[in-house]
Amino acid sequence: MTGRILSHAELIELIDLLGASRRLIGPVRRGDHYFYEPVAGAARLALDAPQCVYSPKSFLFPPEETLLTFEKESGRFVAQPVLHDAPIALIAVRPCDIHGIRLLDHVFAAPPGDAHYEARRRQTFILGMDCAEPCRAEAFCADMSANTAHLGFDLMVARLAEKLEARATYAIEAGSETGENVLAEFGRGRAPGAVDEAARAERAARKRQAFPKRLRCDVDELPMALQRGFASKTWAQTAQRCYSCGSCNLVCPTCYCFNIRDDISLDGNCGSRVREWDGCQLRDFALVAGGHNFRSDPAQRLRHRVMRKGRWIQDRTGLPGCVGCGRCDGACTAKISIREMFNALAEEAGHDGD
Amino acid sequence: MKPRIAIFSLTSCEGCSLAILELEDQLLALLGGVEIVNFREGMTERAWDIDVGFVDGAVSTPQDEEEIRKLREHCRTLVAIGACACLGGVNTLKHQQPPLEYREYVYGAGAKWFPTTSARPLSAVVKVDYELPGCPMVKEEFLHFVKCALTGKQFRLPADPVCTECKKLGNLCRYEKGELCMGPLTRAGCRAICPAYGSVCEGCRGLLGADAVAAAREVFPARYGVPFDRIADRLRLYGAYQDDGENAISGVLQPSR
Ligand code: SF4
Ligand code: SF4
Ligand code: SF4
Ligand code: SF4
Ligand code: SF4
Repeated sequence: MTGRILSHAELIELIDLLGASRRLIGPVRRGDHYFYEPVAGAARLALDAPQCVYSPKSFLFPPEETLLTFEKESGRFVAQPVLHDAPIALIAVRPCDIHGIRLLDHVFAAPPGDAHYEARRRQTFILGMDCAEPCRAEAFCADMSANTAHLGFDLMVARLAEKLEARATYAIEAGSETGENVLAEFGRGRAPGAVDEAARAERAARKRQAFPKRLRCDVDELPMALQRGFASKTWAQTAQRCYSCGSCNLVCPTCYCFNIRDDISLDGNCGSRVREWDGCQLRDFALVAGGHNFRSDPAQRLRHRVMRKGRWIQDRTGLPGCVGCGRCDGACTAKISIREMFNALAEEAGHDGD
Repeated sequence: MKPRIAIFSLTSCEGCSLAILELEDQLLALLGGVEIVNFREGMTERAWDIDVGFVDGAVSTPQDEEEIRKLREHCRTLVAIGACACLGGVNTLKHQQPPLEYREYVYGAGAKWFPTTSARPLSAVVKVDYELPGCPMVKEEFLHFVKCALTGKQFRLPADPVCTECKKLGNLCRYEKGELCMGPLTRAGCRAICPAYGSVCEGCRGLLGADAVAAAREVFPARYGVPFDRIADRLRLYGAYQDDGENAISGVLQPSR
């Protein structure tokens, strides 16, 4: 076994070491919920937080960001790019969200590359926190093979002893050269011994049992089930309740659509180009010049989202378009569940096959 | 020549006109680009050649009706500002009582000297070119409108619901607290100010469209055990008259008269 074993106090120290040269961002408790927020030190973090209300996506791809500013100089507009590359460390990122970030990495790296995303991403350190059990009833991360991450982090932590947090021990492993270097620089903790090996094996066995199967088909069968269900009645039936509010999009760790607008000063001499999150469930998402809307019906929009999450993104990138975090289900005030839609279509496809 | 703009108030709290004064520093920049005429809250000079007239308040008295017709005549572009002027606003609450009763409540023994009509948005009386809804109107949206007017850009109200702004701010959804928020049905543009400060959206910027209303008719009874009528009652608080101009939903929330 590679990596190190850290005590709780050592983990806190390690995070503070990361924080010495980076802005720390991690789970903070607000009432009954947790949010990723910038903190001054590791002591403020809720390291054992289950899923946060929002994924840490907004720190890499903000809901609204200025891409460039422009100004009139002797009759011509001159533009100045705006790039943010202050180093940050995302702490206690759960496996589902790490899978989400991997997809964003892939999408924003597509030629010619998104300079704004990449500038942030290059300066982002990710310390992952493995899940021993599902965080919420809506999560089907295990069904989507996203409840464990083997790639896409600098360091990954798994809590071993499940006793009091202060007495917990953590297995920590590097997933990148930067992660290796940080561990080496830190130099604390101990090499894992036989007891740790046993604790880790026991945890892994417990984890395999802890995630119930919440999808009624195998993740590999999902794309085919969706393809067969393209003309299903499920879309129109479910869409009767859909507000087209876009909340499911905006909480999703794998949604990456955006809109761009120009803000100008009152005198028209300067301004900025701003991009903001968009979502395919919103009525005007596919509206084009001339007033034509490619998906004017809520049922078409609902199908589009579910198809993308369960099939099209996977086809195009080889990465899961849905990591099963269940946030969209939780955020939908109309109580529309993507998992239930996946299941309904899998069932329909199963009957077709009989 | 600078465009001449004017601001008028009918029956309202004049909060929307005050929102313009609250623009403070931007107001000076604004004054560089336009000429403000006839602004009752800010100055006294009167002139009757107006490019853009902004009107807050509902049409709620015979005088209001006369005034709005006159304003329509003198303003090349007429813009309704605030929930009262766009949707009827809280003025329409008086429709819950017989006219004589509310008039006596407000004017006492002299009630008969103060005739009133039912409270209506401007569009119920004259043609309105643009609406900037909200209670009060969103001052940033007003500024954006003026910029569009000055630069010749097309002005469009946001076509997304309040939820989009709420989520971008990273708020905790009020439904997580068991509260029924009107955000999914309501037009964005206010930066989800009510949920951001911990209360539900009451729909002061008006309904987004027929699709969202149709969804609400399904969702509230079936998923929350709340009859849609109770939701409609809440939406009537600011928006008794609702018609978003492209999906005819007027009639859904109009008071029975
Ligand atoms: S969805 Fe799965 S991987 Fe993500 S936090 Fe919950 S349990 Fe962990
Ligand atoms: S589609 Fe829903 S469950 Fe899947 S990743 Fe997005 S928010 Fe999570
Ligand atoms: S959150 Fe629900 S109601 Fe809103 S767009 Fe998504 S599925 Fe439709
Ligand atoms: S609090 Fe209201 S506006 Fe915000 S996401 Fe929830 S329903 Fe939408
Ligand atoms: S959140 Fe709703 S009630 Fe509050 S200002 Fe916005 S539209 Fe009006």
